[in-house]
Amino acid sequence: MSGVLFGDRELHAIAERALRAAKGDQAEALIIGKTGSLTRFANSAIHQNVTSREAELRVRVVVGTRRATATTNRLDADGIRRAAELASDLARRAPEDPTYPGLPAPRPIPSAPSAYVEKTAEATPLDRARAAKTLCDKASAVKLIAAGFVATNVQEIAVASTLGTWAYAPQTYAEAQIAAIGDDGSAFAQRVSTDVTSLDVEGAAAEAVGKAAIAQHPRDLAPDTYEVVLTPYAVRDMVGFLGMQLSGLAVEEGRSFVGGKIGQKVTGPITLVEDPYDSRSIPRAFDFEGQPSERLTLIEDGVARAVVYDSVTAHRNNAVNTGHAQPFVGLPAPMHVRLEAGDKTREQLVAAVKKGVLVTRFHYTRWVHQLRTIVTGMTRDGTFAILDGEIAHPVKNFRFTQSYHEALGEVRGISKDLSLLVTGEQFGLMTSCQRVPALHLGAFTFTGATRY
Amino acid sequence: MTIPAFAVERDLAKRALDTARTRGATYADVRFVRRDEENALVKNGRLDAVDRSDSFGFGVRAMADGAWGFAASQIVAAQEADRVGALAVEIAKASALTKKRDATLAPVDAVRATYETPLDVDPFTLSFDDRLKLLMNAEARMRERKGLRTTRAAYAVWREDKLFVSSEGADIAQRLTEVGGGIAAEAVGNGELQIRTYPDGLRYQNAGGWEILTRWDLIGNAERVADEAVALLSAKPCPQDTITSVILSGNQLSLHCHESCGHPIELDRALGSEAAFAGTSFLTPDKLGTFRYGSSQVNIRIDATSEGGLGTFGFDDEGVPASEGWAVKEGIFVGYLMSRETAAALGTRSNGTMRADGWARVPIIRMTNVSVMPGDAGTLDDLIADTDDGILMDTNRSWSIDDKRFNFQFGTEVGWEIKNGKRRDMVRNPTYTGLTPEFWGSCDAICSESEWVMWGTPNCGKGQPGQGAHTGHGAAPARFRDVRVGVIK
Repeated sequence: MSGVLFGDRELHAIAERALRAAKGDQAEALIIGKTGSLTRFANSAIHQNVTSREAELRVRVVVGTRRATATTNRLDADGIRRAAELASDLARRAPEDPTYPGLPAPRPIPSAPSAYVEKTAEATPLDRARAAKTLCDKASAVKLIAAGFVATNVQEIAVASTLGTWAYAPQTYAEAQIAAIGDDGSAFAQRVSTDVTSLDVEGAAAEAVGKAAIAQHPRDLAPDTYEVVLTPYAVRDMVGFLGMQLSGLAVEEGRSFVGGKIGQKVTGPITLVEDPYDSRSIPRAFDFEGQPSERLTLIEDGVARAVVYDSVTAHRNNAVNTGHAQPFVGLPAPMHVRLEAGDKTREQLVAAVKKGVLVTRFHYTRWVHQLRTIVTGMTRDGTFAILDGEIAHPVKNFRFTQSYHEALGEVRGISKDLSLLVTGEQFGLMTSCQRVPALHLGAFTFTGATRY
Repeated sequence: MTIPAFAVERDLAKRALDTARTRGATYADVRFVRRDEENALVKNGRLDAVDRSDSFGFGVRAMADGAWGFAASQIVAAQEADRVGALAVEIAKASALTKKRDATLAPVDAVRATYETPLDVDPFTLSFDDRLKLLMNAEARMRERKGLRTTRAAYAVWREDKLFVSSEGADIAQRLTEVGGGIAAEAVGNGELQIRTYPDGLRYQNAGGWEILTRWDLIGNAERVADEAVALLSAKPCPQDTITSVILSGNQLSLHCHESCGHPIELDRALGSEAAFAGTSFLTPDKLGTFRYGSSQVNIRIDATSEGGLGTFGFDDEGVPASEGWAVKEGIFVGYLMSRETAAALGTRSNGTMRADGWARVPIIRMTNVSVMPGDAGTLDDLIADTDDGILMDTNRSWSIDDKRFNFQFGTEVGWEIKNGKRRDMVRNPTYTGLTPEFWGSCDAICSESEWVMWGTPNCGKGQPGQGAHTGHGAAPARFRDVRVGVIK
């Protein structure tokens, strides 16, 4: 075991201590441990280089139908006891909630492929710096500037409850991102792998540098509705937004595009699967309540089939708990989404476009209208006009305002290769990953443009 | 004095600094941070979540071989201080592998000092029942209105105690306290989901005590918020693809300022440090002092001393004292948010804007309080009366801007048509879009000081690994001419 891993024995001991100290009818302990190391470069030199080792305990105490949580990173005896007592005290003073079913009873957790790779956990500052240097040197060799990062991460998730739940899984992932920047244009590439020795740093460099070479001096193109080819970086954004709406909570609150439409056509011919057991993703067989996570077909050939639930949302909606609780209590979401592959190469996707736009990635995407899945955002780091099946020239970046599920209404091609990507990690934990292809869509609406 | 003594932590910090120096650091600093928070959410008549959290640890930032390293741990012990201090130096030396030039720091006076957020009612000494009662009552008042799908009321109380010790001799202890919250009503029907909130989403937050939340009349505004959410379902759509005058409410203008001024004046962005993620800035150093950012009405202040601001403190996380100055003066871009390293690149001194998200993250340039200063247009009613034709837009619902901070698009919860100086029909799904300098250049009126409020953004994301920051933005309603509105049908 690596020195950065807490391990199931230590985390189990912390959980047991917390459960013993809790004063209530039921209690649950969720422990998240993480060692994150990230080497960041800009202007072709490392400018931030950080590592931190963190672990956090969240105690949930239930008294009748009342409940509360307390969270601490003080994992000595006093810290654990204090958190358990705080949660107990808050729970006793919370109002009754007749809709609350109590903690979920333990259920058998199927085995999932391991997402833990020792070599990733053991990567050193020098390993990351060397990878960063590779990315910087490849860009510098053709007079481009490199910016991005190389990261190695270890995270452990453990859940225990007084009902007998115990679930533990360590995960690792390594990631490289590069933007290759010229005087008047840039391009982007990203790679993710559970195994740092398989992280394709050279491939990322070649992709970004090669694309940046043809991204210089973008021309104006009038904002309009165009056919588009979206690389997996852009598709990941679409899948992430739609995934938020494919939960029982979103349906309950009336903000899901599949609300009242299970069994009906909601998109074109795509299939979206929530697959926590996908060995080529970052698998984990259970959720943050220690419940087994189901493999679900969310959208099958364009027909809405299912949404995900956690214990509370399932109970409130008379549904089956699919095991998709997130660390934030009460917000279920898919966490291992795969958009199924098609039969085209990426070159064939472009070749099929008469007049359209190739988008490398989106930037700063936000809801405009959740129910209609309208999102606005920008393109960046490699946007190109496609004419008669070939990339014609780079274009200045667009603003789009587009319903994501309506854009998937006219899917003209899906690449046969999938990319493993992680959602931009925010505030400490990677909770979800996606495997997505490139897409050729028949219509995508750009509503504005910027100056570069 | 309620700031902790930090006796043990100070000894450990000195030990980590000694270790770092022994291993080759030419500069190092250590921050111990303890953060306490309580967040509660009442939803549809039930307490949906309440969480009390604390986090405590330390981070060591070291410069060695002319490059930076940072390491952090939550194990507060002598042996760990040694390990983390040494690791920060090891990482710095690895960083030097790609070095083009040595990192240098602008000078700062190393001081021993303390700072504490002024407050009236310490939120952590109130009982949970008292805190919760406000939410339950306000949320219940909204639910009296038929036709709502979801009602929410939330609060956040937040405190950070921190010690900064540097190899240059600084020793600074601070206690920062914040409180926030609000109410929200959602209605669903006619193919629409509409929301109204008060006072600013569920994210309103200020520095200070519980008085921050009680001065907003959540209960008294609950019925109006609920009524407006329902009314939006049958309101007419915002006019489509139209050029008109727009009056932005103060809370919307505060976020617009955050995105289109606060971020582009971050000097690390302008120098390329965020190029692959958050982006760069159209406000490049060659524009400093000469570029016309907005009309002569536009004055935007950087002020880490503003009362109640989420960017108000005694010292930043490099030990630089809080300062005040201008970002935009009479429409001209005149000032950046700076760190010691980026200030050195411009041959000046830092204005103290380096802030870290807790103990486990390295300080980066963040907004302090970046505020649009009041004008002389009187009250909001005065400004409406002075407007022949346009749309009043209130409270943000959607926000997006490009990676150089030129092209933006915002949506608000609600709009009202303005005709002949009167507020007329409510409109739903209002949006507006444009380019930053043109938009601020079209500002021809800003309401007076009586309408000016210190708003805040408690969830500003930046950096890799991701960091959240709490930033303050004072603003009053303001008018912009010839704005493109209505981009969704």
